[in-house]
Amino acid sequence: MLAVTFETVRQLIAAGIVNGSAYGILGVAFALILGVTGRFHYAFGVLYTLAAFFAFTLFDRVGWPFWPAAIVGIVITVVMGVGIEAFVYRPLAARAGSNALLAVFVAALGLGIAGGNLIQIFWGAQTHSLLGISISPINVLGADIINIDLYSVIGGMLLVALLTCLLRFTGLGRAIKATRSNPEMALLIGVDPARIYLVVFAIASFLAGFAAIMAALKYSVEPTMGFRPVVLAFVVAFLGGTAKSPVRVFLTGIGIGLIETISSIWLPVRWTQLVVFVILVLYLISFSVNRTVFTRLSAALTGRA
Amino acid sequence: MQVASNYIDQILIFSIFALSLNLLLGYMGQVSVAHASFGAVGGYAAGYFALSHGWNVLLGALVGALIAGVVGAAVALPALRLSVEYLILLTLGVSSVLLGLFTTFAQLGGTYGLIGIPPASIFGHQLLQTTDWLVPLAVILAVVFLICHRIGESPYGRVLKGIRDDDKATLSLGKNVVLYKVVVFGITCGLAGLAGGLLAGFNSLATPSQFGFDVSLSIFAMVIFGGTGNLAGSILGAATVVLTKPLLEWAVSLAPETAALWRLTLYGLLLAVLMRLRPQGLLPEGLNVLKPATWRPSRSTNGSDEIVPTAVAAAAQEWETRLEVGESIAQEKQRERNWSDAPVVLEVTNLSKRFGSIVATEELSMVLRKGTITALVGPNGAGKTTVFNLLTGFIAPDQGSVKLNGEELVGMKPNRVANAGMVRSWQDVRVIPRLSSLQNVMLGVQDQTGEHLGPLFGNIPGVRKREQTVRETAMEWLEFVGMADFANSPAGALSFGQSKLVALARVLATNADVLLLDEPCSGIDTQWVDAMLSLIEKVREQGRTVCIVEHNLHVVDRLADHTYFMELGRITDQGTFQELTNSPRLAEAYFGTV
Repeated sequence: MLAVTFETVRQLIAAGIVNGSAYGILGVAFALILGVTGRFHYAFGVLYTLAAFFAFTLFDRVGWPFWPAAIVGIVITVVMGVGIEAFVYRPLAARAGSNALLAVFVAALGLGIAGGNLIQIFWGAQTHSLLGISISPINVLGADIINIDLYSVIGGMLLVALLTCLLRFTGLGRAIKATRSNPEMALLIGVDPARIYLVVFAIASFLAGFAAIMAALKYSVEPTMGFRPVVLAFVVAFLGGTAKSPVRVFLTGIGIGLIETISSIWLPVRWTQLVVFVILVLYLISFSVNRTVFTRLSAALTGRA
Repeated sequence: MQVASNYIDQILIFSIFALSLNLLLGYMGQVSVAHASFGAVGGYAAGYFALSHGWNVLLGALVGALIAGVVGAAVALPALRLSVEYLILLTLGVSSVLLGLFTTFAQLGGTYGLIGIPPASIFGHQLLQTTDWLVPLAVILAVVFLICHRIGESPYGRVLKGIRDDDKATLSLGKNVVLYKVVVFGITCGLAGLAGGLLAGFNSLATPSQFGFDVSLSIFAMVIFGGTGNLAGSILGAATVVLTKPLLEWAVSLAPETAALWRLTLYGLLLAVLMRLRPQGLLPEGLNVLKPATWRPSRSTNGSDEIVPTAVAAAAQEWETRLEVGESIAQEKQRERNWSDAPVVLEVTNLSKRFGSIVATEELSMVLRKGTITALVGPNGAGKTTVFNLLTGFIAPDQGSVKLNGEELVGMKPNRVANAGMVRSWQDVRVIPRLSSLQNVMLGVQDQTGEHLGPLFGNIPGVRKREQTVRETAMEWLEFVGMADFANSPAGALSFGQSKLVALARVLATNADVLLLDEPCSGIDTQWVDAMLSLIEKVREQGRTVCIVEHNLHVVDRLADHTYFMELGRITDQGTFQELTNSPRLAEAYFGTV
């Protein structure tokens, strides 16, 4: 433990921020969906994976240039995300009434299972490389990373900043926030929650698509690539707060990434994957055991009474 | 034969998984996507003890079931107050942690798991072939089915369904919701552990992927397919999910690999479609395969305020005649005198509660007297419902005391307050929609033998006998409120007025001395109001102590022997209703300054 050099720590911090910004982006997307629409969108992971596969197919198999392929991949994801809300979740929620959350979750689960397997049926179980951008090492503040890492962190920050501005300064953003705090009231002031839900699914799917392309460039394209990042996105969304600002959720994601990498100083790698879930379970225990204490604590921490 | 029995064995094992998850999800309404990982606890225990200690796998499975049960009960603790989305996340986390732990320990084989677990044996007979497993598994499944059936379809299960549909209402009727949740989590996770142990023994291996997250999801799917709250459905669901693979291989002659993928795709899509077309599953709750009478959902006449129960009509008539007689001021004075003569049952002293900087209740003192009706009136936001929440333990006061016949109630959980003899009703009624009216009222009856696991399994005749008296008591109260004709209608199908009557019967059935009725007459038709008032008067005649929160001053005028007037968390005036209405203060609060 004492033998850890400054170099190692710097490298781990860099890796934590890189991984964490990916978790953060996905967490922001999932929190937006859950916070505004109340849908437990489990099929999120499949959409993420599909963005990578479509981009890969258009680029590698059809022979398109990389950027158009990536953009079309993301657009397909957005269309599918919006379609799932419009044609699956919304009618289901309307019918299920007070049980909407569970009914939507079960349907989302079904779509997630079916989608994941369909991807394997169509594309096979192999791993593909998406060589859209040539990888080159760069050095940022003394830490060695690759150019794609830098793009994904900066891109992630830009998107989160954009989303924050959208929520804070535009009419659409205010409509989204109004729907998040109270859909019936939003309806009264002339906001149609059904339309806002579609917008939210579009934004969230776009973010997921971006994260997927970045992951595909860095690692690879494979049918199971969506599972772990998306589960972590759930965790990030809940820890960050589904009704909180995207910046906070994004920073939570980076925090999770840092915990994961830094804990590897003391723990074997296979344990570090557990750390996040242990934190989650501990958080939920404290959350459940004393909700009032917790809300006071977090209010004090965030400086809001 | 070997192939067929292989699938049958799998169906039997997964039926145990599905049955136990159904008890948790379908009966108690607690979502878990970690059920297979509790199976892993059993499976790894069975494998570990068999490999390193030479135990019989079946014994290991039993021990594994115990461990899984303890772990499950522990998981219930954080799960107690979580809503559905947090439960999904918690169980997801638990599943990851459990599986991660198993993968981490070298003694448990790491990512490869435990392989080559020696075959199980029963009475010296080794279970080598898949056919050897058929009978033992069928017997175990039968036992598990009986356990789940006994728990689910009994007074115990009635409480579970109450928790599922409205845990607060169930708590307010004196049921120890926390205990039920912990116990049922423990039992169902224990049974999952047993199933996992059997699966490990059957496959001779315990691997992380055998109990992976997708297996948890497929167990979840089995329960949803079969129908939540229907145990036979879970077996059907298990069969459906297990058999899709061989059916695909055979019918479309797919290669086993592709068949596995298509099978998952198919049941995933089915899950989504089913939620749309038949969310209650193949066998809906309450359907019994052996009783054709239950095959069609009871299209009981949906409640409507136009169908007025006879007793309600009679009560309204009675009031009409009494109105003509009228009540003199002298009579009211007499009532007030009776009130101050009656012994104090509930004494509230200096009760205070703040939420941050908002004062909800300040230095509130009041008494309720035996056999009288006390009203708590005041403008919206005065904190009347908060007072009920403070009195019944739903909110803990910052200071003050609440004494029921001398016994301090502050610090007690809501269920203990109800047990001590004070029960509240809810402004928003909170009947359990999927239970019948009668079952709702039965839920109110206290001290039921069948609500404890010991007698539930140990004293079957005693439970049956007590259940008979509970049913009779509940029926009497339903007759009292005039809703006996609707005994078998689901409470969710009743009209608002009818459900308020059922809720009243349910509160009365608790036999509590003190009844706190939160707006008993709000939102119901005039003729129903009269019926409700007569009923509350009858309750007073029976010597019970009643406190009402009510906005309708006509109601307060008729019922109240004594009235407290509340503003901004404080009691600012009290006396007879006439005295209060003459005070400018109340007029101002209610009607504004003239």
